[in-house]
Amino acid sequence: MRKLVKSAGLVLLGVVLAGPLFFGSMKLMVATSTPEFCASCHEIQPAVQAWRMSSHVNNPKGLRATCMDCHLPPPEDTFNFFVMKAYHGTKDVIGHLRDGAENYDVQKARANMYAEVNNETCLRCHENVLFMPDKRGAMLAHRSVLYPRPGMEKKCVDCHYDLVHTARPAHQYSQTRAVPYQAKGLRTLYGSQL
Amino acid sequence: MKLRSIMLGPIMALLLPLLCAGSGTAQEQAQAPNFPKVKEFRVERSLSPQAVACIECHKATTPGVFADWAKSEHADSNISCLDCHLIQPGDMDEAKEHAQYYNRPDMPYGEQKYFAPVASIVTPKDCSRCHPDETTQYSKSKHANTIEIMWKIDPWLNKGMNSDNERKIGCYNCHGTVIEIDDKGRIDPTTWPNAGVGRVNLDGSLGSCTSCHTRHRFSTAEARRPEACDQCHLGPDHPQIEIFEESKHGTIYNAYGDEYNFDAAPGTWSAGVDYRAPTCAACHMSGSGKVLTTHDVTERLSWETQAPLTVRPSEFAAFPANTDWKVEREKMKNICRQCHANSWTDSHYDGFDTAVEEYNEVYFKPAKKTLDELYAKGLLDQTKFFDEHLELQFYELWHHEGRRARMGAMMMAPDYAWWHGFYECKSRFNEFMEEADHLLETGEKAYVYPKYPNTGGDTTKPPKVFDKLQQ
Repeated sequence: MRKLVKSAGLVLLGVVLAGPLFFGSMKLMVATSTPEFCASCHEIQPAVQAWRMSSHVNNPKGLRATCMDCHLPPPEDTFNFFVMKAYHGTKDVIGHLRDGAENYDVQKARANMYAEVNNETCLRCHENVLFMPDKRGAMLAHRSVLYPRPGMEKKCVDCHYDLVHTARPAHQYSQTRAVPYQAKGLRTLYGSQL
Repeated sequence: MKLRSIMLGPIMALLLPLLCAGSGTAQEQAQAPNFPKVKEFRVERSLSPQAVACIECHKATTPGVFADWAKSEHADSNISCLDCHLIQPGDMDEAKEHAQYYNRPDMPYGEQKYFAPVASIVTPKDCSRCHPDETTQYSKSKHANTIEIMWKIDPWLNKGMNSDNERKIGCYNCHGTVIEIDDKGRIDPTTWPNAGVGRVNLDGSLGSCTSCHTRHRFSTAEARRPEACDQCHLGPDHPQIEIFEESKHGTIYNAYGDEYNFDAAPGTWSAGVDYRAPTCAACHMSGSGKVLTTHDVTERLSWETQAPLTVRPSEFAAFPANTDWKVEREKMKNICRQCHANSWTDSHYDGFDTAVEEYNEVYFKPAKKTLDELYAKGLLDQTKFFDEHLELQFYELWHHEGRRARMGAMMMAPDYAWWHGFYECKSRFNEFMEEADHLLETGEKAYVYPKYPNTGGDTTKPPKVFDKLQQ
């Protein structure tokens, strides 16, 4: 009888605690998933400002690709998503406290990101890149990325770079570009590393 | 009166053309052959207004460029001027003077609203937007890196033994220039126009795809022909085209070339189907059998036959290839096997390998040893090159007949292997040794040409290439 009461008490305690814990962590997750939260770090502010003026925010479809869409594994990959989110958050706090904001190396961070980001991340939103009747050169290039010859694997960011976190004088609406967007060409070509 | 004049108008209008018609038709017939129809290009597909403006204006101002492009695969695929010439943010080579053509009411589309910033020079990096694999392969080749190679090993440049203009009209046409911006912000006219294979572009990319795929056709078929290569690969120091022409491959090309299908789609150009005997590209670049296509012309080599001492491509100190010669030899043999049995191929390579060994051991190494001895004893002056007879003799031994012998042996031209090759090596070697031995025996110093003409070219290694290497 005593045993039963103890067990029932523990279950009840669990239920009582689980609610706030669950909703609390969800609130926490939502609160820490916004660009505004990312911009609460001094080092990240320029990146968020530039992003806000880029075509990842300003496009005719009204779509917004936010920080986490590119910088974290997809939420459906739950475990990795949480681990990487916690890892990046902790790393940035430690980096800030240990090295100071003034020692944050943007170019190094950018290079790291280009090395880390994989094509699947971009393809989650940019799904239809093989059929572009008005851009047949891009069609050709995209085929060589999605179905690469052995040894000739490429990343989306090898050609598409300096797109989002680039300082610009005005908001870059993709539908009002004076001339159509073109990729810049292979960043990784010998002698042209940027 | 009034009525009559009203009637007269239409009557005259009807009669006049009839009166003129007879003579007019005759005139038109006479003139027709002299006035061929202008090539039409109706823009009936999706192009931006700026891109249409380029086409419409250049149709009138540079009809040659337009017609060339209009016949190209690019036009076929709706790739317009702007797809290649539009400048990217941060590019330094904007054609600023071109902007004035958007204030030309006399020209179709000469309005500001059609303005697009463009650059004259299109680089491999621009081409990589659509052809990333081809440009990546090309970037690894000796073609792309030839400016670095020549500044590492060539005494004409490093010792300033010719003039800047001799380089401009000679060397740089094939090897390429280092593109510079002058004080006025324009492209330095001594560096451009240029379509050299190793041109150093402002965006840091190397080379020029238009060396082999000439603008504005950019034809695959053109680059498959030996004539694409012979603009540079000819003459006393590397007569590859003459060697090809003497070979059975060249003989068959000359006899049957008009039956070859040079227009096959990339990756489908097949030995025995599209061509009876290979061209330069067929062996060195095109996909054949199990071997995949490459734009790295260095890739399939197993010897560097242009180097003073023949070495494996991975041991070529000025630009070591990231290849294993055994793998590459097997690739090349696989290509041979499209038409030849192993007995042919193996026997051929035996002869080639022996020719290389004999050249290295019997001709080059003894001559180099003697040259070094002369320098060590101070009998030859080391400050300059080419200003003493023995230096020229040594140079021509490896750079002229020594290459002809090796390349002739490799590409099956008996006359170049022997008469223009080893035969000349023998007589050069003997003359070199006679003169060298005389100096060594007597201790006499070599005669230095005191009036050496037209030296003084810049000896600064291009910083754009060499600063990057130091980093």
